[in-house]
Formats: sequence, structure tokens, C-alpha cells
Amino acid sequence: MIRPKLFMALLAGVVLLASGAVAPAGADVIKVGVIAPFSGPFAIWGKQFQDGITVYQAQHGTQVDGQTVEFLYRDSGGPNPDVAKSLAQELLVRERVDYLGGFVFTPNALAVAPLIDQSQTPTVIFNAATSAINARSPFFLRTGFTLWQVSVPMAQWAYDQGLRAVATSVSDYGPGLDAEAAFASAFQARGGVVVDAIRMPLSSTDFAPFMQRIKASGADAVFGFLPAGPPTYAFTKAYNDAGLRAAGIGFLGTGETDETTLDALGDAALGLNTAYHYSAAHPSSVNKAFINALALHDPRAVANMASVGAYDGAHLIYEMVAAAKRDGPGAVAAAKGLAWESPRGPVLIDPETRHITQNVYIRVVDKDATGRLFNREFATIEAQPDHGWNR
Amino acid sequence: MGMVFNIALDGLSYGMVLFMISVGLSVTLGLMRVINLAHGGFALLGGALMHGLTFQLGWPFALALPVSVLSVTLIALPMEYVFFRPLYGKGDLTQVLATIGLTFLMIAFVNWLYGSALLGIPLPPSLRGTVDLGLRTLPVQRVAVIVTGMVVLGALYGLIERTRFGIWLRASVDNRAAAEALGINTRWVFAATFALGAGLAALGGVLGAELMPIEAYYPLRYLVVILAVVAVGGMGSVWGAWFAALGLGLIDTAARYALPDFGTIFFFAALIVVLALRPQGLSGRAYDV
Amino acid sequence: MFEAWLGRMGAPVALLGVVGLIAFFAFPYDLGFLTRILIMMIFVLSIDLVLGYGGIATLGQAAMYGTGAYAAGLFAVHISANPLLGLLIGAGAGAGVAFLSGLIVLRAHGLGLLMLTIAVAQILHEIANKARVVTGGADGLSGIRMAPLFGRWHFDFIGQTGYLYALAVLVLVMVFLRALCVAPLGLTARGIHESPVRMAAIGVPVYGRRVLIYTIAGGLAGLAGALSAQVTALVSLQVFSFSLSAEAVVMLILGGTGRLWGAIFGTAIFMVIHHLAATADPYNWLFVIGILLLGVVYFIPGGLMGVRQRLRILFGGQG
Repeated sequence: MIRPKLFMALLAGVVLLASGAVAPAGADVIKVGVIAPFSGPFAIWGKQFQDGITVYQAQHGTQVDGQTVEFLYRDSGGPNPDVAKSLAQELLVRERVDYLGGFVFTPNALAVAPLIDQSQTPTVIFNAATSAINARSPFFLRTGFTLWQVSVPMAQWAYDQGLRAVATSVSDYGPGLDAEAAFASAFQARGGVVVDAIRMPLSSTDFAPFMQRIKASGADAVFGFLPAGPPTYAFTKAYNDAGLRAAGIGFLGTGETDETTLDALGDAALGLNTAYHYSAAHPSSVNKAFINALALHDPRAVANMASVGAYDGAHLIYEMVAAAKRDGPGAVAAAKGLAWESPRGPVLIDPETRHITQNVYIRVVDKDATGRLFNREFATIEAQPDHGWNR
Repeated sequence: MGMVFNIALDGLSYGMVLFMISVGLSVTLGLMRVINLAHGGFALLGGALMHGLTFQLGWPFALALPVSVLSVTLIALPMEYVFFRPLYGKGDLTQVLATIGLTFLMIAFVNWLYGSALLGIPLPPSLRGTVDLGLRTLPVQRVAVIVTGMVVLGALYGLIERTRFGIWLRASVDNRAAAEALGINTRWVFAATFALGAGLAALGGVLGAELMPIEAYYPLRYLVVILAVVAVGGMGSVWGAWFAALGLGLIDTAARYALPDFGTIFFFAALIVVLALRPQGLSGRAYDV
Repeated sequence: MFEAWLGRMGAPVALLGVVGLIAFFAFPYDLGFLTRILIMMIFVLSIDLVLGYGGIATLGQAAMYGTGAYAAGLFAVHISANPLLGLLIGAGAGAGVAFLSGLIVLRAHGLGLLMLTIAVAQILHEIANKARVVTGGADGLSGIRMAPLFGRWHFDFIGQTGYLYALAVLVLVMVFLRALCVAPLGLTARGIHESPVRMAAIGVPVYGRRVLIYTIAGGLAGLAGALSAQVTALVSLQVFSFSLSAEAVVMLILGGTGRLWGAIFGTAIFMVIHHLAATADPYNWLFVIGILLLGVVYFIPGGLMGVRQRLRILFGGQG
């Protein structure tokens, strides 16, 4: 017979281990909970976030007006809204955090919306890029970008370069469809024609078929969006291999040449055009200081949109703490309209959308003096809001 | 016409990559009855080693490739002895648990070494160009994959059909007890086959890295497709694995050309139809989990 | 008779409830995490029914979990916010998908069967992704607002209602499963697991019974999915993912298949160790889990439930 008592006792013991002692929040410590993937295939996001925050604290200290700001990190794995929500509960109830931050995936951010509404906790999204998130709670603020924000300028720039026929080729999921809609609406508004709109399964590994179809569509250029990682790698490789570059079909991208995958892409990436809000090579003294501090923190670290999203997120939280301490609604009110010089250039929190207004840069992949690839910004489209807010 | 040609060409090269990565699993499954979910891990190890040698140490591709593949083959030998030998004859679920655990360790190791970023493997100039086939161009790298795949198939066929080792192998697959009674050292056959399968996975992983790029979570990301090839091919059959890999590669490629919007659904629906009609796989030899 | 039954079945299950209640008061700050464990236990139990009792190899149980989650979520958004009705809908949807897919899938065996279960989950994943208007696609199905349980208890901020709700459902599921295991259906399932040929020989419709078991288990998986949708108030595509199925199977084997307590125990151990390891060192927690799994295989065959037998042998057959 089973000895349930023994097992239940063991079970209780194990559960006991899971829960640490309840730590009372110090009166002068303001805690910020950061929910992001630190394990699994997306672990690099968590590392980039942590790097950005650590560098910000190294530059600006851990005190704001006598209050110590402490960041607590929690691992959400991948897009797991149930995990994200229970982590947010734990952070809010046990750790008594006054601010939340992080969030790579849209469902994870949406899952905490009802919680932060109740607890009135300002929550700074470093990445999750669906426009609609900020509409779900007045306590959401965002220092990342949206696909509408970068795809619209890309389309307008492409038209200005004389391109009239473009094929769009996006991963078949929410963000990909956003990018497709954004590009198409802006390009057609100017008078361009989208000759083919291809939606590629997320699990695609071989992109040669799509390239052949783009070639056959008679497009002057292809606009692509895929989630960063293996798909973007294989997509840009296929762009070269299938002879699109040789045939003179232009490449219009967004985050495909992200700094974390650029080295792996190798010379195949040279000359690719993208529109994005941050390049590690942005020529400004603020960015130089950021890059130097990052190298000091970890020589192997790479600056990209995720680390700068977290860096600016930390800045925004510091400003809110300085303005309103623990008063959530007051902090959000203080954040609205806040402007500062970020490593990516001048930015502003839009009072209506609570999303970051920023420059979008047109870049090309180039080689620096040491032979390393980087995104060289050569055109600036200033002060772009979230074009997807009213859709 | 152009589309049929395109599908055939791209499907062929994709299928060849799948074949090289999966064939080792098919053969070891037939031989040792071990569902080795860690098989993709050998492709990862090969790719990670290749990344270290070429990208970090600057070795030439032509030297790093055989060194990586041989190293993985040699690593597989002690691993077979330590991890897999105790699993032979154990329940299937125990094997699943053990090989998943091993997969996690392999992932954790590469993750600890290089992080979870993409591990690029720079191609040599000789593989970077394209070949003009009249109707369209084909990257040299894909030509190399197709040729290597055919060479691997031919070599395996020769090994199994024409050598003494092949006789031992076939005898051990068909009836292990009888083979042992006939004086065949099945332990040695097991170890050699396991190492060979691991080496082929490494070769497939490196050559296929342009399609399926190497990163720490590679073994889990592509586990489903590797299992699909083995399930459709039927266990213990080189030919079965070859036909299955090519067939699935062609179906997947055709779906992407013809109906990209429903590509994934089409692929898995086709898989269901094939397996519902031939539950034993193409080779007709089933493996009961 | 009834008292004997109660003693055999009721006491251990009641103990589960008591331990659950103790945990409720002992860890008031971790109810979100504990609720996830409870829901996962129901899901792993459904796999135990399929794999441990029915002998049906599966790596696609998430198909039913996900269907239950979306069904309950859509029901709450569009029709009624009543949680209990939502649970029934979720369980029904899970059972329905299990029945329909089981008719095809269960004709195969072994690796082919394994692959078919995966394929069903992948197809549903893709359908949920494509039906963005209905399901929200990759953004997730949001806008779920549950009505208070029995019209009285609101789903509160800390998750107290959610936890007790999940615990009650888990206890009921355990009672149901323990009854099922000694019922004729459970016994034939066991027989089919041991030897399908012999069971067919004594006149048991093996295929039909397998479909029935698969359908019941699908209903339980749908129930777990529905619970998750109601407690999280959001459903993402992740509910159909291969990794969810695979991870749940690992938890089950870890605890020991074919034993209900194995599912409970394996889930608790895996999730707690995962939680602790991921909190301590998220970058390298896979090392811990990998070593744990290998350790169980090479030192405690039969899963963690095997420890009991080891101990019993050690202490001279007292059990």
C-alpha cells in the first residue's frame, strides 16, 4: 500500500523550501521587479536587460533622493502568460515592489494588466511591441518600439528612394502581421504598390522558396520581418543565396541585423538596409559613454535594442521615483511628456500613448576599421510616434 | 515547370540535411531499441565545435570540418559506454527521461560556453558562390550538401551491404540474441554504430547550419522534425530514412511554394496521412514505444 | 463496504486536500506559483491516465490542454463569465478533440503514434495562430473577466480564490481517477497496457477502450487548460506547444508512471526544483534539471515513487 502520509510530508517539506522567508520592504528601498526570460531559447533578452540596468546604475548610482532603487529579476522563460502573472503577483505581494519592468512578449505583458491596474504599479515595458498593450492599462509605459513605429518610416524612405514595387515577406504571427500592415499602409499611401504579401510559417527553416517567389513577383525590393534569431539568420542568408541581391532586389528590414546576430551573419549582411531606433554605433557622446560603461561591466557584452530599452527603462523609473516616489498614479503623470537624451538619440514619453517617441534611423551594414560589422546610420527620420496607436 | 524544378531542387537539399541529421537515430533505434532524444545534441556539439574552431580560432573550414566530426564521433564512444549501455533493455520511458536529461546537459553546456546566441560558421569562399543552372541559380553550399548526402547514402549502403561489419549490423538489428549466439560482438557493433550515427549528425548539423543555424537550443528546436523523419522512415532502415527525409523535405518545400499561408498545417496533415496509412513507417518495421 | 472504500480511497485524497490547505496558509505570498503547480498536476494526471494506465505513448497532450484553455477563454469572453460552466466547456472541448483525433491517432503504435500526437497539437497551434481575429494569435486571447465563484468569491489580486478553486478541482479529479482505476474500465486499461493481444483474445474491444481512455484523459487535460485560462485570464499559443507536452511527460516519468501519486509527486518536485534553480541561476538551471533526470534514471529506476520501494526493502519489508 501507498504511504500517502510520508509523501505528503515530503511534499510539504519541498513546498516549504520553495518559499523563502518573507522579507519586509525597507522604508527607504524602492524595489523594481523585472520580468523577462533568463532561461531557455530567449535567455539572451534577460541578459541584455540586466546589462542595460546594471550599466545605468553604475553610471548614475543606486540612490535617488535618498531612496535606494533595487532591481529584482524574475525568469519568465518564453511567452508564458501564466508564469508572468504569477511572478508579478509574487513581486507585488511578497516583495512589495513599487515598479515593474521588462516584458519581451506581448501576452506576458497583457497578463499583468489587471494586476497593475489594481495595485496602481507603473510598469515599464522594455520590448513587447504590440501597439495595443498600452491601451490595456493606464499604468503601462514603453521604452522599446512598436513595429508600426519603424515600419512606416521604412516604407516612406523606400518610396523616396524611387522604389515603387515592393514585396512584403513576414513571419506569420502577430508582430509579423503588424509589420506587414504598417509597411503596406504607408507605402500605398504614398503611391507605391505592394506586389506580393508573403506570410511565412514561424517554423520555417528553408527560406529559398519564398525568395524564388519574391524574385518572380517583379519587386524592386523586399520588406521583411522575422523574430530575431535563427529565422532572421536563415532569411538573410537565403536573400543572398537565391541571388536576390545579385538581381538588384533591395533589402528593407527592421531588426534583422540586430547586433546580437550580426557577427554570425558575417559578410552576407554587408549592404543590407534596415530602419530601426537604435544602432550600437549611434554617433553621440551619450551612446559612447553607454558603450564604454557596458564594456567595463562585461567585455563580451553587446549593446542592442534590448539593452538600450532596459537602460532607458531604468532612466524612466529613476525619474518617476524622483518625482513621485511610491505614488503610482503620480509617477505615471510625471512620466508623461518626459524628454531626455538617450543613447539612441532624443526621446520623449508621449503623454497620450505613454509610448516612447524617438528617431528612426535608416542604416546599412558596414565594416569598421577592425573588420567588425556594424549598423551605420545614414539617414534620420525624426521624432516618430507609435503609428499603430489608433489602428 | 519552373516551380516544379524549384521545389525539386530546394526540397532535395533540405531533405539531404534532414537525412544526415536523422539517419544515425534511425539506425541506432533499430539496433539498440533506444529512443535517443539526445541525437540532435550531437549535431549541436558538432556545430558548436565548428563555430569555436572556425569563428573563434580562425581554422580553415576544410580542416575544422573533419576535426569537428571526428571529435564528436570520438566523444560519442565514451558516452555510449557511460550513458547508453545501462539503458539497453530498460523501459522506453526510462530511456526518454535519460536522453532528455542528457539533451538538457548538452544544451546547458553549450549555453554556458557560448550563451544562447547564434553560433555562426563562416563558409569558405569556395562554398559561397552560386552555380547557374539555366532556369535558376543554386548556391554552391547546397550543391555540396546534396553531393555529401548522396556520398553518405552510398557509403552507408556499401558499409551495410558489402562489408563484414554490415553483416554483423544487419544480423544484430534482426535478432540480437541469435547474432550473439553466432559469435558477433554486439556490444562492439552497438558502440561503433552509435558513434557513426553521432558523427553523421555532427556532419549534417554543420553542413545544414545555413538552413538550421546552430544555437544552444538546437536539439529541442528540431527534435520534432528529426522524430518525424525517423517515424516516417521506419526504424533501422537507411533507405527508409532517406526516402522519409527527402519526402518530408519535398512536401515542406512544396507547401512553402504553393501555399505558404498554411505551410505548417499542410506539413503536419501530410504527416498524419502518411502515418495513418503506414503506421509502421515506410520501411515497415515498427518500433513499439 | 462504503466505509472500506472511503478508507482506501478517501483518506489519501483528503490528505492531499489538507496539505493543500496547509500550503495555502504557510505560503500566502506564493499562491500564484502554487496554483500553477496544482493545474499542472491535473494536466500530468491526464497524461498518466493515457500513458501510465492506457499505455498510449503521447507527446501531444497539449492539444487537449490548449483546446480546453481556448474554449473556456472564448466562452468567458463571449457567452458567460461563470467559472464552473467554463470548466465544463473546457473539459468537453478537450474530450471532443481527444475523441476525434483519437479515432485516427490510436490506430498507430509506437513512434508513429508519438509522432501523430505531436502532429495534432502542432496543427491546432497553427490554427490558433491563423485565427487571429478569434484567438488574438501570438498576442494571446485577452479580455477574460471571470465572474465570482458561486457568485460569492471574486478572483482576487493575491490569487486566494484561484488557488482554492484549483485545489478543489484537483481533489475532485483525484477522487474521480481513483474510482476509475478500480472500475472495470480502469482495469481493462491496465490489461491492455500489459498485453493488448490477450485482452483482445478475451473479447475486450481494445481500440474502442483506448479511444475511451484517451477521450476521458483529454477531458481532464481540457479541464486543466480551462483552469489555467480562468486563473491567468489570458490564453497564449504556448498552450499548444510541444515543450508543454514534453515537460509534463518528463514530470510524470520523474514521479513514476501508472501511479496517481507519481504524477502529483513528480510535478511538485520538478516545478519546485525548476523554480528554485531558475531563481538562483537562471542561465544554468538546465544543468540542475539534467542532472536530476539522469540521477533518477541511473540511481532510482521507476521514478521517485520507486524510492518508496527501495526504502521498504531497506527497512525489511515494512510498508
